[in-house]
Amino acid sequence: MIKRSGLLLIALLSLATASQASMRMGDWGMVMNENSQQLPQGCDSIASEQSITVKAGREYAKAFPGTIFGYDQHTFSFPRCTRVTVNFINEDQIRHQFMIHGLPTYLHPQGMFHMELYGEGEVQGTFITPNTEETYLAHCDVAQHMEKGMKAQVKVGGGNGDLPSIPGVSGQLNKDRYPLDLGVQNMLLISLLFLLGFAGCLFLYRRNKK
Amino acid sequence: MTFKMRLFSVPSLLISSIVLGLVAVLLYDPSLVYARFFDYIGMPAYQEAPISKPKPDLEKITVCDEQYPEWRKAYTIGGIDIQASDACNPDNPYEVAAFVRGTNNVIMPVLMRTQLADDAVVKTNDIDGDGDPDDIVIRVEVAELNGRSPDGKELIPGYEIAPGITPGAWVFAPKSRGMATVNRLDLTANHLLRLPSAPIRVEEGDNVTLILENTHYFPHTIHLHGVDHSYEYDGVPQTNEKLTMPGGQQVYKIKPRHAGTMHYHCHVQVQVHYMMGLQGLFIVEENKPNNWVQTFNVGAGKVRKPSQGVLETYAQEYDLHYQAIDTSLNNLIQTSNDPRQLAKRMNRIYDITDGTDDYFLLNGRSFPYTLRESLITVEPNQHTKLRVLNGSPEILALHTHGHKATITAYDGVDVNPLAQITRDVYSVSPAQRIDLDLYTKDNGVNSYGEGVWLMHDHSERAITTDGIAPGGNISQIVYRNYLNKNAMATTQGEDLSAYFNPEYYQGKLATWSAADPFGFFDDVAGAKISSYKEVLLIIVLGVLFALIVLLFVRLFAGVYTFFMKRDNKQ
Repeated sequence: MIKRSGLLLIALLSLATASQASMRMGDWGMVMNENSQQLPQGCDSIASEQSITVKAGREYAKAFPGTIFGYDQHTFSFPRCTRVTVNFINEDQIRHQFMIHGLPTYLHPQGMFHMELYGEGEVQGTFITPNTEETYLAHCDVAQHMEKGMKAQVKVGGGNGDLPSIPGVSGQLNKDRYPLDLGVQNMLLISLLFLLGFAGCLFLYRRNKK
Repeated sequence: MTFKMRLFSVPSLLISSIVLGLVAVLLYDPSLVYARFFDYIGMPAYQEAPISKPKPDLEKITVCDEQYPEWRKAYTIGGIDIQASDACNPDNPYEVAAFVRGTNNVIMPVLMRTQLADDAVVKTNDIDGDGDPDDIVIRVEVAELNGRSPDGKELIPGYEIAPGITPGAWVFAPKSRGMATVNRLDLTANHLLRLPSAPIRVEEGDNVTLILENTHYFPHTIHLHGVDHSYEYDGVPQTNEKLTMPGGQQVYKIKPRHAGTMHYHCHVQVQVHYMMGLQGLFIVEENKPNNWVQTFNVGAGKVRKPSQGVLETYAQEYDLHYQAIDTSLNNLIQTSNDPRQLAKRMNRIYDITDGTDDYFLLNGRSFPYTLRESLITVEPNQHTKLRVLNGSPEILALHTHGHKATITAYDGVDVNPLAQITRDVYSVSPAQRIDLDLYTKDNGVNSYGEGVWLMHDHSERAITTDGIAPGGNISQIVYRNYLNKNAMATTQGEDLSAYFNPEYYQGKLATWSAADPFGFFDDVAGAKISSYKEVLLIIVLGVLFALIVLLFVRLFAGVYTFFMKRDNKQ
């Protein structure tokens, strides 16, 4: 019991300090764990400044069949040690987030830089890219929004590959199965390819026999 | 090409097979051939039945997995008196305070201890000057539980109704902030995202603006079933309003003139959306002075801040929401990540007229998890108000052991006190609500005395979890003298810890294994070769198989030579 309340106290304290350090909150939404000053380990100075605009909404799902929500862009690339100002715009009438995961925990509690808008609106937030070659996950963590298209990747220093199921970039690891299109064109193409394999095999067999 | 192998004749092979087949049957069980065979060969020798399997080594699971036991005590936060709760995992009192005061009226440190959005519940303007706010804005979102992820097999956000049981579901939830899951590694849903859809409370005569923010990937609406509202806000796509599409909002404005236990639910493809969980209690409390009502009661169960009207007659109040789940509908959302495929499977391929319910929930859990948060704890000589909603598609036959409670209202309308019925099985039709007065006076009618008394649906399938009992919506009425320090009832019955094991509900554990020191009812181990007859039997079966193979070879060779000869002639 004592241990538990002790833990709770520590949790609340850390929450309090974190909120003191970098928490902006209001009836518009919140920006949590911003970092515009502190240099990541291995960065001597801010190498460059960049600003991007991220638009979120159902509008951006249209380009990717089978998704419902989306960002206007799903890959962001930055050099190392760069101060990035994100201008986050929510075009829907519901909550959306732009949340980057896996950042250094000494700069961002839980490794998270979190922007959230409770409805239509716009907010700015800043973070500094670490001195790494890494691909970070950026997403909206409202239930099922990432799964239904609100997923992006942030590549720092070129990144280390792609993350799975980024709309327009990479495929699913837990794949959806679709029935075959039974239209003439598709079936004709399938028959032709199948025949090609079949006839090719018979042809080689006969030639060997002679 | 010719066969060098010597070929047996077909008739001899056939005769040998038949004879050996007969021998095999006689060795296996002569009574199959002739029931009184023992007249000729004497009684069969004693053969010991296979031994029992060893009792399984069960993982020790904590019955009460308490998170914040300190939340059980009574609190006063922001001038709001919050009642103590006996649940293993009680409601967060800071969240209760934010629901009562409004998220706009609590100080930042209180709001920070919740996961609510700042605009989840906005309360302003005491229009009638009676000490409580009358303009109420309530925002609800739609959340999916146990959905599919394109990145792996794990369901997201995860929610267990019972050990290892994770059916897909949709719920209306108060507008929250932050992550849907506990964190990036633990994909369990945060505590606001859970079954059932949160009960909503307003006060009679309030100007209520209920805003549906559709965060889900299908269209939805809200139908305010039984709540006084104008036609404009009926929430029905076939009559009064357009579908609220993903990313969109719908505003419902009401000023309810009649108090009572009502209902709200989605009215889009109701046979699917209602059964997926988009159904909840909507309670209109009587208009009283200084009546700050608890706008949401997340997870239903004990209302930690009952309204002034309820407190006039009752010491405490519980919301009881009964639901059922057909896995062949609910688990469809786990079969694809593409909403177009899901819409087809749920609306056009799934047929509710062929459906059968598998899981039965009270307040979003099945036994034994009901024990962690759905106990009704009472003191002697106390009046407890129970508001019961039947959200399942069949009649609920709710039975209280040891108690006969009085039905004081049906569908939010009071029963004439002279005509009130006191009974021990309360039948509640689908979507119906009843208000019960559970009076713990030990008089042989209202109560038979103190103890730990079961409370469950007496349609027997509902006390099972996919056919395995005890499960389903079983819960308990517990006299507080019987509660132990872990907020669980100390019973004289069997140890319940076996039921907290997922294997139990997979049917892998013998029902009475933990309670049966004799091992009378343990699982039986497989039969082993234990007599010379069985040795012979297996050898004979081997020979029989070889004969059949030879027979096939013989037949194949015959056909082959026939065609070869014909070819040579040509």
